[in-house]
Amino acid sequence: MSARPVIAPGVAPVIAIDPNLCTGCRRCAEVCPVGAVTGPQGQAQTIDAERCVLCGQCVQVCCAFAAPFDEPAHDPAAIRRQRGASEAAGPVFAAHARCDLDAAKVLVADPSRVAMVQCAPAVRVTLAEEFGLAPGSLTPGKLAAGLRRLGFAVVYDTTFAADVTVMEESAELLARIAEGGRLPLFTSCCPAWVRHVETAWPELTPHLSSCKSPQQMAGALFKSYAASLDGFDPAAVASVSVMPCTAKKHEAARPELRSGPAALADVDAVVTVTELAAWLKEAGIDFAALPGEPFDAPLGRYSGAGVIFGATGGVMEAALRTAVALCGEGRETAGPESGIVFTPAGPGVARAEFELAGNKLAAVTVSGLANVGPLLEAVAAGTADFQFMEVMCCPGGCVAGGGTPKLLPGVDVAAAVAARRQALGNHDRALPVRAAHANPAVTELYAAFLERPLSHRSHELLHTVYGGAAKGGHD
Amino acid sequence: MSVTPGACIGCRACELACAAAHMAAGATVGSLTRPPVPRLYLVREAGTAAPVACRHCEAAPCAAVCPTAAVRCDASGVVVEPARCIGCKACLAVCPVGAMAMAEVQDHGRPVLRRVPDPAVPGGFVEEPAWLASKCDLCRERPAGPACVGACPAGALSLVIPGEVRRVRLLAAARAMAAAASGAREEGR
Repeated sequence: MSARPVIAPGVAPVIAIDPNLCTGCRRCAEVCPVGAVTGPQGQAQTIDAERCVLCGQCVQVCCAFAAPFDEPAHDPAAIRRQRGASEAAGPVFAAHARCDLDAAKVLVADPSRVAMVQCAPAVRVTLAEEFGLAPGSLTPGKLAAGLRRLGFAVVYDTTFAADVTVMEESAELLARIAEGGRLPLFTSCCPAWVRHVETAWPELTPHLSSCKSPQQMAGALFKSYAASLDGFDPAAVASVSVMPCTAKKHEAARPELRSGPAALADVDAVVTVTELAAWLKEAGIDFAALPGEPFDAPLGRYSGAGVIFGATGGVMEAALRTAVALCGEGRETAGPESGIVFTPAGPGVARAEFELAGNKLAAVTVSGLANVGPLLEAVAAGTADFQFMEVMCCPGGCVAGGGTPKLLPGVDVAAAVAARRQALGNHDRALPVRAAHANPAVTELYAAFLERPLSHRSHELLHTVYGGAAKGGHD
Repeated sequence: MSVTPGACIGCRACELACAAAHMAAGATVGSLTRPPVPRLYLVREAGTAAPVACRHCEAAPCAAVCPTAAVRCDASGVVVEPARCIGCKACLAVCPVGAMAMAEVQDHGRPVLRRVPDPAVPGGFVEEPAWLASKCDLCRERPAGPACVGACPAGALSLVIPGEVRRVRLLAAARAMAAAASGAREEGR
C-alpha cells in the first residue's frame, strides 16, 4: 500500500472478505457496482480498497458461512470474537462489515456523556425482519422504545435531518440556477455515491451538493442546537447513528465532516440495522412486545418527505415537494406531493421535465451505482441535458443497503426490497405533515438557530467541501 | 437432487437455505434461531464444486442397516425419525455417497436430548443435545419443494423425478435415431 494518509489508523476496514471462508464463487464480484472485487473463480477474492465504495452489497450476497463441520473446521464463535461481532448476530460469512457495537456501547455507558441516537428512515422498515417479521414491517415506535431500553438518553431521528437536507439542498439548487452555478447538481446523501465521484470522477466533485448527508447534519445539530437547548456541553454529547448502510461508517470518520469550533466529529459511532438487532437480542429485549413510543422532540419530529429518503427517488421527490411549494406556480394547492412524475429512461434511471420558478428543468434519478456511468460521461462531456441528479448506490435505495438485514438465499430480494419501499411510502402517506418546510420543528430550527437555508451558520454546520475521499482511502 | 455438471459455483447458498428451511426463521439471516446445520454439503476439490445430498436410494442401505427402524423408506424417499434414532452411526458407515451425517437434530422445534451419567452425582444424569442421524428429507414439509433448488443462484440444482428423466432421455434417443435415419435417406438419394 502506498503512503496514503490514513483516517483512522488501526481501525479495521469497513468491508472485508475473509480468505479462510471465501469459496471464490464470485457473486460478490458480480454485484459490486465498481468492479472492486477481484480474484480467480474458486479462490478467495480480494477488495481493491482504492476503488471500493463501501456499499456492502458484497456483504449482502455472500453465502459462504463458517460451520463447525467444515474441513478444516471453523469455529464461528472464535471468528465472531475476532471481528468484535455479537454472539446474537447469527452465522459469520466471508464478506462482512466492521462491527462497531462495542464502540457504541462504550459511548452509551459513559456517565460523563449524554448519548444521543439517530435512526435513518430505512431502519424502521427493516429492523423487525431480524425478529422474524415479514420484510417491510413498519415499526418506528418499537424502534424508539428499543433504543431507550438500551440506555440512550435522547432518541432523535435522522429523518428530521432529512427534512433539513431538503431545505438546504432545494435552496442550493435554486441558488445554482439563479447564479449560474455548477449544474447538474448531484445529491450528496449517499456516501457510497459521493465516494465514487471522488475516487472515479474527481473532476466532477464540484457538481456534488455541498450539503452534508442527513446523518452528518443530524450529528452536527446534536452537538450544537440540541446541546444548547438542553444546556449540554457539545463535547459531552455522544452521537450514535443507526444506519441501513455500511458506507456511513466511513462517512462518519471523514475529517471533512466535523463541526464547531472544536471540530468535533458529527457522528461518533455508526451501527447498522443488523448490529442494532443483535444488541437488542443480547440485552434480552423482546422487540415484538415493545410498546410504540415517540421519538424525542424537537430533533425527532419528521415529515413524510424525510421518510422517503430511504428509497430511490425519495430525495428528489422530497426536495421537489419543497421547491415546488416555495416557488412553484400554484402547485402547492394540489397537495403535499410534488406532482412531478418520473418515467423510466434506461436501466435504473428515471427522468422528469418540469417548470420551476420560470425555468424549464429536467431531473434524473439513478438507482444502482452501476447505472450511473453513461450519465456521468455526459456530464463530463458537457452534454448533460438535466440540472438535478439523485443517485443512490444500492439498487432500490437505502432500504437495500449493505447494513440492512441480510436476506436468506431463496428469499425474493426484489419483493423484499419492494415491501420495504412500500412500507416507507405508507408511512409517508400516514403522516400529518408530508413536506419538509411544513415540519414545525424544522421551522423552529431556522427561526431560533439557523435563520435561513444557506445562512452562515448553516454553512458552518451543515455544508462541507467534498473531494477528500480519494486521499482518505479505505479507513 | 441432481447437480448440472460444471454449473455449481460453490457459493453455499444451498447449504444456508437448507439449514434455514429446517428451523424457525423469518426472511433474514439474523432471524435464524440457532446455528445453521444443513442436510446437504458443498464439497470443493481441485476446481470442482458440488453439493452432495442423499440420493434417496430405492434399496437404501441406511434403512436396511438401521437397528431401530429410525431410517425408513416411504413414498417421499428415505426419512429419519429422530425419536427412534439412537445415534449408532451404522447408517453413516454404509451410505455410499456420504450423505448421512451426525448432527444436533430438532424434533417439534426442540433439540433431541440424550441422558449421560453425571460424574458429580452418583446415579444422576445430565441431559445434553444428542447427535443423531441427519440427512436430506427433500423438504417434505415445504410446499414449494426443496429449498436448495430454489436458492441456487446458478440454477445448478434440480430435483430428479426418475420417470421424467426416463421420458426425456427416451425422447432424445428417439429424435436422434429419427434424425440419423433421415440423414441416411438423404445420402442415399
